[in-house]
Amino acid sequence: MAAELITAVIVDDHAAIAAGVRYWCEQADPPIGLIDAGDRLAEVWTGPGAEADVVIFDLELVPRKPDFGELRRLVDSGRRVVVYSQHADNATAIKCIDLGALAYLTKREGPEHLVPAIRAAAEGRAYTAPSLSGALLADDTPDRPRLSPRETEVLRAWFASSSKELVAAKLHITVKTVDTHVARVRVKYANVGRAARTKSELVTRAIDDGVITLAELNEASL
Amino acid sequence: MSDDDETRAQLQRGLRIATLLMAVLTVDVLGLINLLRHLDSHDVPAAQVGAFVALTAVLATEAVLVVRRRPWGLLRRPAIAVVLAASALSYLTLPDGRTSTTVDWLFGAAGWVGVAVLLDRPFRTSMAFLVTHELLALANLLLFHEVSRGTLARFATGSVTVFGLPLCVAVVAAVLGRIAAEASRATRELERVSTAEAVAVAAHRRRTQRFTELAGTTVPLLAGLADGSLAPSDPAVQRSCAIEAARMRRLFAETDTVENPLLHELRHCVDVADRKGLEVELDARGQWPVPPVAVRRDLTDAALTALATAGSWARVTVVGSTDLVSVSVVADCDELTVPTPATPDVRVETFGSDGTVWMEAQWQPS
Repeated sequence: MAAELITAVIVDDHAAIAAGVRYWCEQADPPIGLIDAGDRLAEVWTGPGAEADVVIFDLELVPRKPDFGELRRLVDSGRRVVVYSQHADNATAIKCIDLGALAYLTKREGPEHLVPAIRAAAEGRAYTAPSLSGALLADDTPDRPRLSPRETEVLRAWFASSSKELVAAKLHITVKTVDTHVARVRVKYANVGRAARTKSELVTRAIDDGVITLAELNEASL
Repeated sequence: MSDDDETRAQLQRGLRIATLLMAVLTVDVLGLINLLRHLDSHDVPAAQVGAFVALTAVLATEAVLVVRRRPWGLLRRPAIAVVLAASALSYLTLPDGRTSTTVDWLFGAAGWVGVAVLLDRPFRTSMAFLVTHELLALANLLLFHEVSRGTLARFATGSVTVFGLPLCVAVVAAVLGRIAAEASRATRELERVSTAEAVAVAAHRRRTQRFTELAGTTVPLLAGLADGSLAPSDPAVQRSCAIEAARMRRLFAETDTVENPLLHELRHCVDVADRKGLEVELDARGQWPVPPVAVRRDLTDAALTALATAGSWARVTVVGSTDLVSVSVVADCDELTVPTPATPDVRVETFGSDGTVWMEAQWQPS
């Protein structure tokens, strides 16, 4: 299948980050087309940036001022966003997911997570990197969805090992099952909190694919 | 309260009661007798009785305060003003030429009342009061009475007791206060010295303890290197050195006062690996109770062994909740033998595939 080339636009004020991401995208197989918007948010909304499948968004264009507002505007206008942040704290990660970002990665996470995250986001699917997995694991906010013991175990193993093969081998399950457990967690999170198109798409698709049932979802968000 | 403070309080209270008794004796016994005996020689008896009532009221207040073990506080200044006003009133209404005689009943009494009120103040305050009272009497004599050698001599001899005796009490009170202050300073110094000594003893014990902890593993390694039986080029020896280095760092970190000791000690272990040229990342999530030292040693020992064995990179993670703390190291190790945990609540698992080893040490608080 001659799939159309995925395109992404990166908003990041650090030239080295944009250059690194461009290199990873070029080396990816199949390669990903990257548009560098620098720190100019306008280029995400107009010109070639507006056509890109995925927005790679640096949450802190202004240091210590995470721009959740811009993230919400992007998500509300139907953009698929991968947040790429130097922040590793749980609250920021969970807030981005709640706003409707499809992936949250810290800048310590390299191409082995960023490239699959861009591909997943281009298809409207979520990607959960180990750092986000750790954040979900440590989430103790009162309105968090209820996770099953197995889901927690998979999240913990994925966070610790950062390798789905190791998780699968350790828990005696297949890599696909690992993915399913992680996907279920994300669907449970997509089903609570603020409404967003990307989130409802995740839920609909998961129910259609049989990843989770409506009853299980309702039970998780009680 | 320490023994010294108690002794000091008892002494001061004794002096206070004695001074009050002296004041009551001079005002309400001797003073009253003289007042009543000469009441008809006074031009304005009501003024003298008023002065008497005023002094008695001050003494009654002091008696109440003594019983309730309270200081004068804000009432002190008004009380002194009352004493001086009563003195002025009494002196101004004295019949001509009767200063410093038995008719002048207040002359010998007012000083005692003032000293009783000012007993716990600095010496200079009592002194100032006595001088003021004395000047008041002198001024009255010089301005309103006929000054003769006789009256001046009477005033001078009277003043010896009127001024001198209360002054003695004030001096005793001041000396007593100074002795007490010195005693408590000496006690504090003694406490400081004994605390410093206890700290030194504890530090020494800790050092001895640390040395015995290292003696089992570090000392044989150093001895082997010194006598040439262990070759520094041997990878196994190098690994042992890395492990011991990390153990020593952890041992030093154990006594640091930090919010999260487990993470603090792990950071030191990671730092040693980092210096060895390993690419290490450390990530911790969640909140957990502080594990006891023995448990932390088990958890970090597993981690530092894995780090010492790692080839080029390692990922160290901690996930914690109230019922489980898990320390994981994923690294490129060829083979890994982790030490058996010493505490029963810690479980260590290792698991490897294709040159990547995953070591997980878990602690379940019981």
